[in-house]
Amino acid sequence: MAPPQRCTLCRQTFFCGRGHVYSRKHQRQLKGALERLLPQVEAARKAIRAAQVERYVPEHDRRCWCLCCGFEVRKHLSHGNLTVLHGGLLEHLASPEHKKATNKFWWENKAEAQMKEKFLISPQDYARFKKSMVKSLDSYEEKEDEVIKEVRRKGLQKPEPEEGSSAPASWKGMNSQVASSSEHLSHLDLQPTPEFDWMETGQPLTFIGHQDIPGVGNIHSGATPPWMIQDEEESSGNLPIGPSYEEFLKEKEKQKLKKLPPERVGANFDHNSSTSAGWLPSFGRVWNNGRRWQSRHQFKTEAASRNKKGKS
Amino acid sequence: MSFLLPKLTSKKEVDQAIKSTAEKVLVLRFGRDEDPVCLQLDDILSKTTSDLSKMAAVYLVDVDHTPVYTQYFDISYIPSTVFFFNGQHMKVDYGSPDHTKFVGSFKTKQDFIDLIEVIYRGAMRGKLIVQSPIDPKNIPKYDLLYQDI
Repeated sequence: MAPPQRCTLCRQTFFCGRGHVYSRKHQRQLKGALERLLPQVEAARKAIRAAQVERYVPEHDRRCWCLCCGFEVRKHLSHGNLTVLHGGLLEHLASPEHKKATNKFWWENKAEAQMKEKFLISPQDYARFKKSMVKSLDSYEEKEDEVIKEVRRKGLQKPEPEEGSSAPASWKGMNSQVASSSEHLSHLDLQPTPEFDWMETGQPLTFIGHQDIPGVGNIHSGATPPWMIQDEEESSGNLPIGPSYEEFLKEKEKQKLKKLPPERVGANFDHNSSTSAGWLPSFGRVWNNGRRWQSRHQFKTEAASRNKKGKS
Repeated sequence: MSFLLPKLTSKKEVDQAIKSTAEKVLVLRFGRDEDPVCLQLDDILSKTTSDLSKMAAVYLVDVDHTPVYTQYFDISYIPSTVFFFNGQHMKVDYGSPDHTKFVGSFKTKQDFIDLIEVIYRGAMRGKLIVQSPIDPKNIPKYDLLYQDI
């Protein structure tokens, strides 16, 4: 038997040596893993032609697991409050270390050679991506400038308060770009009351009033919970002291759950129980696996037959 | 949907439920039966209740009938769901400001099932606060502090 090795794809230890990689299970796991990785790589590949720039959102910190290199890679490239979608992944895929790791992975796991190319990005593609990234960054800046101009114009006119996408977009846009005092004033004019609806994607929740009664504590102030407070109706003198019959039955059931065979030797051994001479763990089996009582049973039957043979 | 789930109408009944539910997560939905978001939540609860019968017991409580509990749990938005295990209030960190209850409805049945499972496992290990497995995007947003002030 070969020394034990761990296959990270199958998440299993195997003793077959080099044969494991050709087994059906491993190939199946490999296919599944590559199929899961392929859409991410394809999405990144699409971004080479048309790089998208977006405002930073914490979702952009998400990382992707690179199967070949065996570590997590930032999916999107973010700087300041702008993100280039799939930038991080593309950068990683184009790197020479990834190429080496991919080759190694393909060789070790015996994957199909045609698939390998799909997971690599050539340096030329990466250069093309960088060019398109620059272009999209410029166009994004232009768009933001336009939005700022729009809002400034609207602020001067003082219209009715706006709800919906234009107000939050302009508010966010202003926050992220230049924050001059005039823009802040116009922003405050547009939104006189705090709006909750644009934060909620579904229906707004019904508000049933502040539950703030001075003098009476609540859960946040650490008051006694209502179910711990004894009601006046429950007088303990009426009921007999001690657990009721139902509670006793429940306790018995709980005990049953925790019970293990009493004759066994091991953790939580009941030292008060009497043990026979057969308690020693060894019954002469060498290559045993399975429970101890099975080898003990085997030993007993053999001992019985041996005695019988000896006597008769 | 709310007629499929058992209801508790008085403080005593709620006390009884909290004290007597053993080895199962107790889910108390505080809200009103007619409210639309409550209806959504009740729908999810009733559909998953039979699958979770060994792990959880679900009850509906009307906030107007139990003012004591409404004040104790500081329920300002409905529906609010509170979890207990063996008489112990279980807190869950959803990424929202309030860990003592879940405000709003769940987005999918699977979210609720995952949450119950995490609470059950945490409680069996002796934890009093657990980390919610639900994606923060699916947690309903609400603003506690500055409403109407």
